Amino acid sequence: MSEEVYEKKLLDKFSDAVIDAFASLADKIRPGWKKRNKSRIDEWKLMAYAFNRSPPGIIGAVLIVSFIVLAIVGPYLAPFSYDLQLTFFDPDAKRAPPGTVIEIKGKLAEVLGVKPGNYTLILGADDQGRDLLSRLLYGARTSLVIAILVMAVGPWIGIILGLIAGYYGGKIDELIMRITDVFLAFPGLILAIAFSAVLPPRISVFLDNHPDVRDFFLTLFALKPQHAGPLASLLAVVVALWIVWWPGYARLVRGMTLSERENIYVEAARALGVPTRWILLRHILPNILGPILVYLTLDFGGVILTEAGLSFLGLGAVPPIADWGRIIYDGSNYFPKDWWTILYPGLAIFLTVLGFNLVGDTLRDVLDPKTRRSIEFKVKKKREG
Amino acid sequence: MMPLVEVRNLKKYFPVKGLLRVKGYVKAVDGVSFNIERGTTLGLVGESGSGKTTVGKLILRLLEPTSGSVYYDGKDVFKLKGKELKEFRRKAQMVFQDPYSSLNPRMTVFQIIMEPVKVHKIKVSDPESFVVKLLYRVGLNETHLYRYPHEFSGGQRQRIAIARVLALRPEFIVLDEPTSALDVSVQAQILELLKDLQRDFNLTYLFISHDLGVVRYMSDYIAVMYLGKIVEYGPAEEVFEKPLHPYTQALFSAIPIPDPVETRRRKRIKVSGEPPSPINPPPGCRFHPRCPITKDVCRREEPKLEEVESGHYVACWLAR
Repeated sequence: MSEEVYEKKLLDKFSDAVIDAFASLADKIRPGWKKRNKSRIDEWKLMAYAFNRSPPGIIGAVLIVSFIVLAIVGPYLAPFSYDLQLTFFDPDAKRAPPGTVIEIKGKLAEVLGVKPGNYTLILGADDQGRDLLSRLLYGARTSLVIAILVMAVGPWIGIILGLIAGYYGGKIDELIMRITDVFLAFPGLILAIAFSAVLPPRISVFLDNHPDVRDFFLTLFALKPQHAGPLASLLAVVVALWIVWWPGYARLVRGMTLSERENIYVEAARALGVPTRWILLRHILPNILGPILVYLTLDFGGVILTEAGLSFLGLGAVPPIADWGRIIYDGSNYFPKDWWTILYPGLAIFLTVLGFNLVGDTLRDVLDPKTRRSIEFKVKKKREG
Repeated sequence: MMPLVEVRNLKKYFPVKGLLRVKGYVKAVDGVSFNIERGTTLGLVGESGSGKTTVGKLILRLLEPTSGSVYYDGKDVFKLKGKELKEFRRKAQMVFQDPYSSLNPRMTVFQIIMEPVKVHKIKVSDPESFVVKLLYRVGLNETHLYRYPHEFSGGQRQRIAIARVLALRPEFIVLDEPTSALDVSVQAQILELLKDLQRDFNLTYLFISHDLGVVRYMSDYIAVMYLGKIVEYGPAEEVFEKPLHPYTQALFSAIPIPDPVETRRRKRIKVSGEPPSPINPPPGCRFHPRCPITKDVCRREEPKLEEVESGHYVACWLAR
C-alpha cells in the first residue's frame, strides 16, 4: 500500500532494499516468514520512510554507521599498532604535530614488525610518541565493544525487574523499587568509580583461570596477548556499568508496565491460561518496546561518554590500551600547546555521542505512531501543495 | 443432572484505600448463589455497577473471592492447582466486552489464535489450516490470517476473540457484554454466531448484559442483579412474562417496544434516584430507597431469595 501513496527517493529505495534483503534472509531461515509478517514488513518500510524525512536522523545514522564500520575495520586499517612508540625511529616523535613525516628503516623496523618507508602522521602523535590516528581507530573498537557489552546486559536487568515490579505490584513492587531507589541515591559515576577500582584483581584471576574467555575478549578488543592485565581493567568498567546502568530502566519499564497491564488483552491472556512469563515477554514487552528502544539508543552514547569519563579520571582503561577517554587524559597535561592530543579524541567522542542522540530523537518520532503519521501527512501536503 | 457451574454465597469486597489505612469496602458482589445447567445459557442482567462482570471474573478465577465458592463440574474452582487449574483454564473461557483492547495489537490473527493452543500443548498437525478452519467457523477467511487487529472492524475483532476461545474446545464461556460495543446490525450477527456455536459444540454460557432484549433472545434462565445481590432468578420466559420483583418490573417496563399504541397503553414503572453506593448499601432491602411500593419491613430486614413458584426465585417481602 505504501508504494502507491509515497514517492520514493533513492534513500527510500535503499532502505526498502535493506528491509527486503532482511526479510528474504528470514524467509530462508524460517520458510513462510515473509508471508506471515507481510504487515510488519510494510510497517518497517513506512518507518524507514518517515526516518528518511528527518535530516538530523540521517546525519546521526551516517555518524553511527561510520563509527561502527571504523570500530570493526579500524584496527586493520591503522598504520601502526596502538602501543608502538615511534620514538624508536625518531626521538622527536613525542607529541609530533599533525603532518609530521617519520622515516622508518633498518633492522628495528623488522623487529617491531613495521614496513620500512616514510609515514605521515596525519593526526600527530601523543606524549609517548604513538601515532594518534592509529590509537583513535583502536579506541573506536574499545568504545564500541564496551558499549555493546554494557547495553547487552545492564538495561535488561532493569527491564526484567521493571516488568516484574509493574506486573505483580504490591510487596514485590515495593521491594524492587526500594532497591532501585538505593541505587539511584548514589550518583552513578561515583558508584561506577568504586566498582571499577575494586573489580580488576578479581577479574584478572578469573581471566587467568579461563584462557578461552581471555583470548575471546582479547580478539574482541583487538588487544595484543601480552595485554591481558589491562584487559581486566576494561572488563571491570563493563561490570561496573552493568551495576549502575539498570535502575533508570527499572523505573521506566515499571511505569509503562503499570499502564499496559490494565489492557484487557493481558486479562484475556490470563483467562486463556497463558503463563505469567509469556504475558510479560510476549504481550507487555513488545507493546512498550518503542520507548525502550529510544532510551537504549540514546543510552548507547551515554555509555560511551561515561566510559570515556571513567578513563579520563584514570579509572577505566589503563596504558597502553587505546581508549578515547584515556587519550584525552594523557594529553591533558600538554593542552593547549599540543592541542591535537585532545582535540581529535574529543571530536571522536563528540561525533559518536551526537550520532546516537540524533538517531534516538528521530526514532522517538518514528516509533510513535502519532508523530509518524504527522510526518507522513507533512510530506503529502508538501507534494500536493 | 449435576449443574456445570454452581455458585455458592460468593462475595467480593474491594478495599477502598485511604491515606494510611483501608477506609471501607466496595461490596461489588455480596452473597450471590446460582446454578448453570450444562448446555444452557444464564443471562445475568443488571445496571452498571451491580457486580455482573465481577461475578463472571470470579467464576473464571480471574479474581480471588472474599468468601464463598464456585464449583465447576463438582470441583471447587478456588482450590484448583497445577494440572487441574490448567485444564480448567482450557475448559472455561471468557469473551470480553471491548474487542478493541482484548486483542494484543502486536500479534497477527494467526498468533492470537495459536497462542492458547501452544500454551495448552494441543496437538495440531497443520497450524495454518487449523486456524483457517476456525476463521471460517466464525465468519472470517484465510485472507485475514496474517493481519493485525487494527485492520479489523469491531465485529470482526469480536469474531477473532471468539475464534481464539473456540480453539481450545471449551465447555463453558462467560460472555461479558460481547455485543455492547458493536453496531446493532453487527450485534445480531454475533448473537446468531454464538447461538450456532452453542448448538454445535454443546456450550454453556453465562451471558452478562444490560441489554434486556438481547438477554431475552439468548437466555434460558435469567438472574437479575442489583447492588451485588441477585433479586430475581428463574426461567427466561417466566421472568419476562411475569416479573415479580419491583426492580425487575421497572427494568422490563423500560424496554422500548416498536409500537407507539402499545407503548402508550403500557404503564411505565418509574424508579427515582441513582443506585446507592455499594460501599455503604442501605439497610434492609437494598432497593427500598427507590422502590415504588416500600413497606416498613423493607427498611428493617433484608429479604432472602426464595422460591415463589417452581424454579422462580425472588428476593422481595411483598412479592410472595
